[in-house]
Amino acid sequence: MKIVDMHSVTKTYGGATALDGVSLEIAERERIVILGPSGCGKTTILRLIAGFIAPDTGSISIGGELVSKKGRIIKPPEERNLGMVFQDLALWPHLSVKGNIEFGLRARGMRKAERETRVRTMLDLVGMADYADRKPAELSGGQQQRVALARALVLEPKVLLMDEPLSSLDLELNLRLRKEILRLQETLGVTLLYVTHDRDEAFDMATRVVSMRRGRIEGVKTVSSSRGETA
Amino acid sequence: MARRAFLTFIVVLLLAIGMLPVLSMLARSVIVDGRLSLASYAGLLASSRQWSLMRNSMVLSCLVTALAVAVGVPLGILLGKTDLPFRRFFALLFVIPLLIPPYIVAVSWFDLLGREGLLMHLVGATAAGATARLLFGLPGCVFVLFSIFLPIPMLLTMIFLRTVNPRLEEAARLVSNWRGVMKGITIPIILPGVLLAAMLVFILTFGEFSVPNFLRYDVFPVESFTQFSAFYNFEAATAAAVPLAAVTLLVLLVEAAFLRKRTYQLRPFSESERLPPVELGARRTWLSACVGVAGLVIVVVPVVVLIVQSAGMDAYAEAMNRAGGSLLRSLLYAAIGATLLTVFGFFTGYLIQTKAFRCWRSVDSSTIFLLALPSTVIGIGLISLWNTPRTNLVYGTPVIIILGYLAKYTALTSRISVAQLAQIPPSMEEAAQVAGAGWFRRMGLIVAPLARRGLLSGWLVGYIFSLRDTGITMLVYPPGHETLPVRIFTLMANGSPDLIAALCVVMTAATLLPAGILWTIPNLLTRKVTG
Repeated sequence: MKIVDMHSVTKTYGGATALDGVSLEIAERERIVILGPSGCGKTTILRLIAGFIAPDTGSISIGGELVSKKGRIIKPPEERNLGMVFQDLALWPHLSVKGNIEFGLRARGMRKAERETRVRTMLDLVGMADYADRKPAELSGGQQQRVALARALVLEPKVLLMDEPLSSLDLELNLRLRKEILRLQETLGVTLLYVTHDRDEAFDMATRVVSMRRGRIEGVKTVSSSRGETA
Repeated sequence: MARRAFLTFIVVLLLAIGMLPVLSMLARSVIVDGRLSLASYAGLLASSRQWSLMRNSMVLSCLVTALAVAVGVPLGILLGKTDLPFRRFFALLFVIPLLIPPYIVAVSWFDLLGREGLLMHLVGATAAGATARLLFGLPGCVFVLFSIFLPIPMLLTMIFLRTVNPRLEEAARLVSNWRGVMKGITIPIILPGVLLAAMLVFILTFGEFSVPNFLRYDVFPVESFTQFSAFYNFEAATAAAVPLAAVTLLVLLVEAAFLRKRTYQLRPFSESERLPPVELGARRTWLSACVGVAGLVIVVVPVVVLIVQSAGMDAYAEAMNRAGGSLLRSLLYAAIGATLLTVFGFFTGYLIQTKAFRCWRSVDSSTIFLLALPSTVIGIGLISLWNTPRTNLVYGTPVIIILGYLAKYTALTSRISVAQLAQIPPSMEEAAQVAGAGWFRRMGLIVAPLARRGLLSGWLVGYIFSLRDTGITMLVYPPGHETLPVRIFTLMANGSPDLIAALCVVMTAATLLPAGILWTIPNLLTRKVTG
């Protein structure tokens, strides 16, 4: 079943075309990686799906429901049930690890006892149970990544959007976190839409790699279970 | 070497101009007839009137701070974060009362609500009597000072909102509506800015004497001023000034201890990086009507009242006749003050931004301390230091007024320079250094031209604050050198209301017209660079 359906989407910023008639379908539990150089429009796709910006033309549906079309955001971001990990992680500096993860649950009006349970489960899942009361500034880069992941996943989103989340990490940590993301994706059964400019990382993470250039999709490759083999 | 020597010279100059007068005043307050004595302080502490004045000052400052923050922060959010129509116009409108001498606003409200004010002609003497009673005293003081200092929390909220990483808000938007994002993320992040605004409003209200003096609400700074100007009791004036300095220092220490730790690493984001304004939807119309009415009451009404009160050429002819010289002097001193403030602030800002000396933080704190210090304290400090036969070349000439401007307002131009210099990559200066340019050449040909927008803004701010200064100039001006704000203040005792109103209109125009013209220059420069 299609979980995300982008149809002929165009987006321009002050005359510069960021996306030019892009269509993309994502199936449930799929791991799609968008690969391309800086400025090719990969992040714009994530921001359109998240609902931060509206397409100039075309439409976007999530879970079979129309959420944006031609200059209009029909469903605001908070009603799309998506998780997102930002390139700079965007952890809220004034909240603790627990506060960061709990924020969305509070916004949904969840009761305290249930919130506590969900936060604890998520912290255990990402191996951060001992750091619940720390502020983001008191964590290492890898720990911050885990918190960002936990925050994005705690609401059990339909789709997890990841915008070059590992780009600022050293190779060793990058490789370790790739495995963790894959483990979490499999455990939770979430659909993954992942953006990177690193070819190696793309083929490591994806079931399908979408190559982009100058606002257009250049090609789509299906990745078999063994790394790097494409169809 | 040249860099170190020149910046050392700047630090020494800062100490001599700003801190020495304060230290001299402190010393004079404990030396009576050549001997160490705490008699002035004993008299001060024993007087129940002084305690009552201090209580009045505290009550006034707390109420003005609470009101200004309660209104200014939501207003700043509306103007800085939403799609409210005419938000740029409203932001400029609300800033006007801050740019003119505070007592002008009080005069205007007096012309409207006083026993023989314009309101009396409209609603009769009984109602006008009731409004006059409200105006003279605590409620009137609170309202007038609130309208003057409202722009501080409003502007700081707008500035801090621009520094919130848009990704932090986007991350929250995925799970919450805008109300939840503002409550849970944005406002807690800008809280240090809100607390900074509260501190500034508190200190500025605490040190303000012209409005309480005019509206006959007895506060502590008036005591210091009266002791000096009415009784010429220098020891008593100095002793009364010291508690003002102590309270200022205390508030700044609290700020240093709590707020600086809470200031997160934030950087300003460009227009293209920021999120689109929050859509107000159906509330857009009535919210803009509310803001419009507030602007009308707080800004437009006082200005219109002054214009109505001064209507007729006779009042303006009389005003020019009696205060034309003061106006020219004001413009000249403000221009000189602004130029020196720009130069001084630029190098102080450079020293702070580049952390050129280990004591950069002390330099920064000293300028902030002097800005926060009530004008009467700086004025008395300057007299204490320079009123000697050997230094008459300074004390007996307008130089003393310019020194007052430099002592009080360097923090403003210095902070503007710091903000501007922070946007210039250090590699710019380093590249010039590698190319063999000496420090003065680097400053003159690379850093200053790149910081020209900040320099122009600094000059403008320096000009406005020098021009509106009343507290320092009133105490230190030599005979025959009074400025327009001082002339108006002295004429208020016996001048006719239409003459005072005309002078206030002239003063407001003298501030706003050059400010309006110069305001466009930095924007034109930016357009030229980016376009």
